[in-house]
Amino acid sequence: MFELTVILKQPKQKSRIGAAKGRDSMASARLVPLSFLLLLVGCASRPLYPLPGKRYDASKKPLQTFRPYNLAHRGSNGEFPEETAAAYMRAIEEGADFIEGDVLASKDGVLIMQHDVTLDDTTDIAEHKEFANRKRTCNVQGTNTTGFFHFDFTLEELKSLGVKQRYPFRDQQYNGKFPIITFKEFISIALDAPRVVGIYPEIKNPAMVNQYVKWPGGKKFEDKFVETLHKYGYRGEYMSKQWLKQPAFIQSFAPTSLIYVSNLTDLPKVFLIDDITIPTQDTNQSYWEVTSDKYLNFIKNYVMGIGPWKDTIVYVSENYLQPPTDLVARAHALNLQVHPYTYRNENQFLHFNFSQDPYKEYDYWINTIGVDGLFTDFTGSLHQYQEWTTPSPSGEKSATKLLDKIGSMISKYRNPQT
Amino acid sequence: MTSVRTVSSILLLLLVECAARPFYPLPSRRNDRSKQPLQTFRPYNIAHRGSCGEFPEETASAYKRAIEEDADFIETDILASKDGILICFHDLTLDATTDIAQHKKFESRKRTYEVQGKNITGYFTIDFTLEELKSLRVNQRSPFRDQQYNGKFSIIIFEDFISIALGAPRVVGIYPEIKNPVFINQHVKWPIGKKFEDKFVDTLKKYGYKGTYLSKQWLKQPAFIQSFAPTSLIYISHLTDLPKILLIDDATTPTQDTNQSYWEITSNSYFDFIKDYVVGIGPWKDSIVPASNNYLQTPTDLVTRSHAYNLQVHPFIFQNDNMSLHFNFSQDPYNEYEYWIKKIGVDGLFTDFTGSLHHYQEWTNPFSMGEESASKLLDKIAYMISKFRNSYN
Repeated sequence: MFELTVILKQPKQKSRIGAAKGRDSMASARLVPLSFLLLLVGCASRPLYPLPGKRYDASKKPLQTFRPYNLAHRGSNGEFPEETAAAYMRAIEEGADFIEGDVLASKDGVLIMQHDVTLDDTTDIAEHKEFANRKRTCNVQGTNTTGFFHFDFTLEELKSLGVKQRYPFRDQQYNGKFPIITFKEFISIALDAPRVVGIYPEIKNPAMVNQYVKWPGGKKFEDKFVETLHKYGYRGEYMSKQWLKQPAFIQSFAPTSLIYVSNLTDLPKVFLIDDITIPTQDTNQSYWEVTSDKYLNFIKNYVMGIGPWKDTIVYVSENYLQPPTDLVARAHALNLQVHPYTYRNENQFLHFNFSQDPYKEYDYWINTIGVDGLFTDFTGSLHQYQEWTTPSPSGEKSATKLLDKIGSMISKYRNPQT
Repeated sequence: MTSVRTVSSILLLLLVECAARPFYPLPSRRNDRSKQPLQTFRPYNIAHRGSCGEFPEETASAYKRAIEEDADFIETDILASKDGILICFHDLTLDATTDIAQHKKFESRKRTYEVQGKNITGYFTIDFTLEELKSLRVNQRSPFRDQQYNGKFSIIIFEDFISIALGAPRVVGIYPEIKNPVFINQHVKWPIGKKFEDKFVDTLKKYGYKGTYLSKQWLKQPAFIQSFAPTSLIYISHLTDLPKILLIDDATTPTQDTNQSYWEITSNSYFDFIKDYVVGIGPWKDSIVPASNNYLQTPTDLVTRSHAYNLQVHPFIFQNDNMSLHFNFSQDPYNEYEYWIKKIGVDGLFTDFTGSLHHYQEWTNPFSMGEESASKLLDKIAYMISKFRNSYN
């Protein structure tokens, strides 16, 4: 701020001097370069004024840390097409603690928000005849997959596509209306929020991305990923002062990527764990190996938590929950947080124990299993559940609100219904 | 001579002792003064066909579960068997919710009848005696709901339904429907010229159901009588002062008995007339707020006008299954409850998911009563104050 005011003052002083000198003809010759200089300074100083919207507002409501994190999985994709600006903004509106997204890369090396390595299921690529010949078959984690791969398109080409809602039973009205966004745009959405909103980006399919996309200077996908975070000021260990200003978790299914980036940043990392039948994409280790006490003991030096698929924590048989495994207990014993994925409101995703009620599922996972964060497609529902059952205490306002509440509780008690 | 007297006095004693038994009420049926009363401060949680989201509809289990989940009222549809017994069953045919198809001995009973102008083919309840109906098993109607209880439970009778309500540990109301009375009276006959509606009210009276809405007697044993047939409701208003509800089908369906259109029976003049017989209406919720492309449109003025005539509004049906939820609600049944209770302001909700509605109401409009909650209340207040104090540090 000090530097800004100094620069602010200089042009004004110069213009006063300029005006005095402009009276004689000799002065006019000096006036032109001076005015030119002024213009230059005037234009250059503009970026030094932060946009009012981006001012660091000291009264920005901080991240809540007293109850499990509400992680907006691909934004509020229950309502909007996943990983679009609209989905993220809606999630922030609905009270998300973190907005989550998958980072991949375009042909020209720009980091983008996109979950699938192919564009088929979530974009209108099929309608773009100009790209018809880009379809190809690649080996994705051992399976031959045919489709339009993100790394075969430049950012400009990707931006010409429209994102659509993946699930046919969800709202289709926004199909084709929103574009794919970049990692930078995703970060901006978080930083622009009127309260502190964390980011939870994933280093997605790094083996594949590094295979098909090259960056200058021998840099890898993971390097560019961390560079982007650094550029926007994301740093600091979990719960440190810097971290709480701009909270972030880095997640990945690939342990080597997480270990690699741990030398580049002290931001907290989360190790994602796939279904029991799927080995890790980079080290080909089985589920059993990476969830063993031995492995958790090793990986805890690099990550502060794990993100397992919820049906591996509590198995399911005939759509009924079985007794829980000890995964959460063992993770907690090693001081590792547990953030399972994914919570969805639709009854086909809800096991019968929950009577088609997503709030019953939240209740089970938060109060019976005791997880530390939840990846949900329905940010609003989780937020509502949490606000109704463990409301957040907040600031000065609630002193009067608190007294009001107490008053009504006492009067209701005094005047019971007849 | 003495032995004869001894024997007769012993016999007499036995007789008295055996006869005396019924005068001791069963402990579970004691009129327990501390039975938690019906809540009347927030919209009624009406367990539509019991907790049929979880159990096959209208079975004892569905009703017991609903009571467990804190329903204010358990709801049912009353039809009749061939031998005139009043049963709890929704459809006129047994096909969709029982295993009738697996009972080869009943194959020949399949018939076609005209119902409200349409020909319907199936196995009709009115062609089976109660004993035969009891040999069937009830299935979960919706394939996407829990199927594990299929074939386990039987159809219950009206009296069983009432017993379940009266046997509850707190006051639970009943909400039975005089279902398809025109059809029933056409095909089932009772002695002494009694009609379906007479038998219906007889059963209620037998179990002590009486009293106008919110009267002392009514609050002990709350009940609403519902029907799509206005003439049935008007008829029974001479037999009982229990509160009645006129059910209103969707805009395309006229009343089964008077053939009046939706527009006629929801007009102000009709409300002015029917309000002398009913305390409220039970419309299909999409006729109160129509939907287009699965999005809510502007609400109609139906609720406002009903309330102007002091008529309650209990819409049907609220279901958690996402295909039943309009997109405005983001697949969240709680958002739907919030809309209908806070924005539209209904007085009761027929729901397939009693537990969910109860949670919604407890979290947003909790019920606190009785001696217990004094200390609980103080605990709560202390917790709130400490949380507030800590947020300042």
